Amino acid sequence: MTQWSGYLGLILQGALITIELTLMGSVLALITAFLAGLGRLSRFFVLRALATAYIEFFRGTSIFVQLFWAYFVLPFIGISLTPLQAGVLALGLNVGAYAAEVVRGAIQSIGREQYEACTALNLGRWQAMRHVILPQALLVMLPTFGNNAIELLKATAVVSLISLTDLTFQAQVVRSQTGNTLVPFATILIIYFVLALIISWGVRSLERRMARGLDGVRV
Amino acid sequence: MSAPIIKIDAISKSFGTFKVLDGLSMQVMPREKLALIGPSGSGKTTILRILMTLERIDSGHIQIDGEQLYHMERNGQLVAADERHLARMRQKIGMVFQLFNLFPHKSVINNVTLAPMLTKGMPRAAAEKRAMELLDMVGMADKAKAMPAQLSGGQKQRVAIARALALQPRIMLFDEVTSALDPELVEEVLNVLWRLCAETDMTMLLVTHEMGFAHDFADRVLFFDRGKIVEEGKPDEIFRNPKQERTQGFLKKIIAAGHRV
Repeated sequence: MTQWSGYLGLILQGALITIELTLMGSVLALITAFLAGLGRLSRFFVLRALATAYIEFFRGTSIFVQLFWAYFVLPFIGISLTPLQAGVLALGLNVGAYAAEVVRGAIQSIGREQYEACTALNLGRWQAMRHVILPQALLVMLPTFGNNAIELLKATAVVSLISLTDLTFQAQVVRSQTGNTLVPFATILIIYFVLALIISWGVRSLERRMARGLDGVRV
Repeated sequence: MSAPIIKIDAISKSFGTFKVLDGLSMQVMPREKLALIGPSGSGKTTILRILMTLERIDSGHIQIDGEQLYHMERNGQLVAADERHLARMRQKIGMVFQLFNLFPHKSVINNVTLAPMLTKGMPRAAAEKRAMELLDMVGMADKAKAMPAQLSGGQKQRVAIARALALQPRIMLFDEVTSALDPELVEEVLNVLWRLCAETDMTMLLVTHEMGFAHDFADRVLFFDRGKIVEEGKPDEIFRNPKQERTQGFLKKIIAAGHRV
């Protein structure tokens, strides 16, 4: 039994890497999602084109290939990333592309009458976006952002392919060292599931907090 | 005789192939209270929306307070107004909507303080003091901390009026402000309009189906049909003694529908 506790420690270390990747990837995804989502709605053609190109490209290619590019191909043009940096970059940009469409959709779901009230009160475009539209749109985005974060968590498993010692990688290590397949894989299955549950609870409680007293914004 | 505060000169507006306004001209004097009546689709709401810059005109000119609304002078020529010019012109105009359009994520007082703080750089304390005065005037001071979802339609509309007043516009546009209200809530909103009439010197344009109110409140009534002013005059002339057949027909229908004239 002592032997298993050592292996469990290894797997928990992997869990820390997975959590780290998920958090950092989510931050990057959030930033790119807002940049690209707002870019899609821009008045300027160049910004719209850039945002659309980014979204279509990262949704349309495999996360595996994106990760291999970040880790194996970028060094050829002089950009060498650590496995963690490459993982965060690929995961953040990939999930950010999906989340950008969530940002765009949520902003467009806010009724025209809110924009008209802003015009009648002489708010500038950015003031209206910042103080009236985005706070309401955020509530629409949240549930889907929760989905995106869980997708990102699950996608972190691909980083084991560039030898980052995450949950999946450590489970493989334990499996090869002990010859036991069921225990390590059952353990990480449960850990992934618990992490996903935590994200989903966190997002739901955030939703409830933000929705308090709101009318006209459907959750 | 002072100069008109609103001067509309041969404006036209189409939505697709439907011509809402067709070469319309009209003038409004400072402090005048104007009621715009007519069947739906006659263009009366579109006029308010155009004055608030929510819709653009296809042709014609509008002057507010002696200045072009949709045009500006550049090198001695009239060119289309840019956003900066429009923003400056909007300072003179406020609007209250049929469906209130309150910001659902902001409390009553924050609905009122938002625009003065953002557009006039008013400090929060000053904006809140002014907001409380206005909320008091519309009888909503005790609900300052409430969220819009907690208010009745009449209360929402009174907050919306206070919010529009906070920017101290010289012209106020009221777009069917009681149409979405339950009958028993109409009066509390109309009472606020009476107070505005007595206590401010704003120019007020009112699109309404409340014929009784229009009769008592307005200095002048304009009857619209198919994008044109068919008839205009003092309330008594329009309501008691309409000359045009279309005006007579419209009023007959309205009375048949149970509205008091």
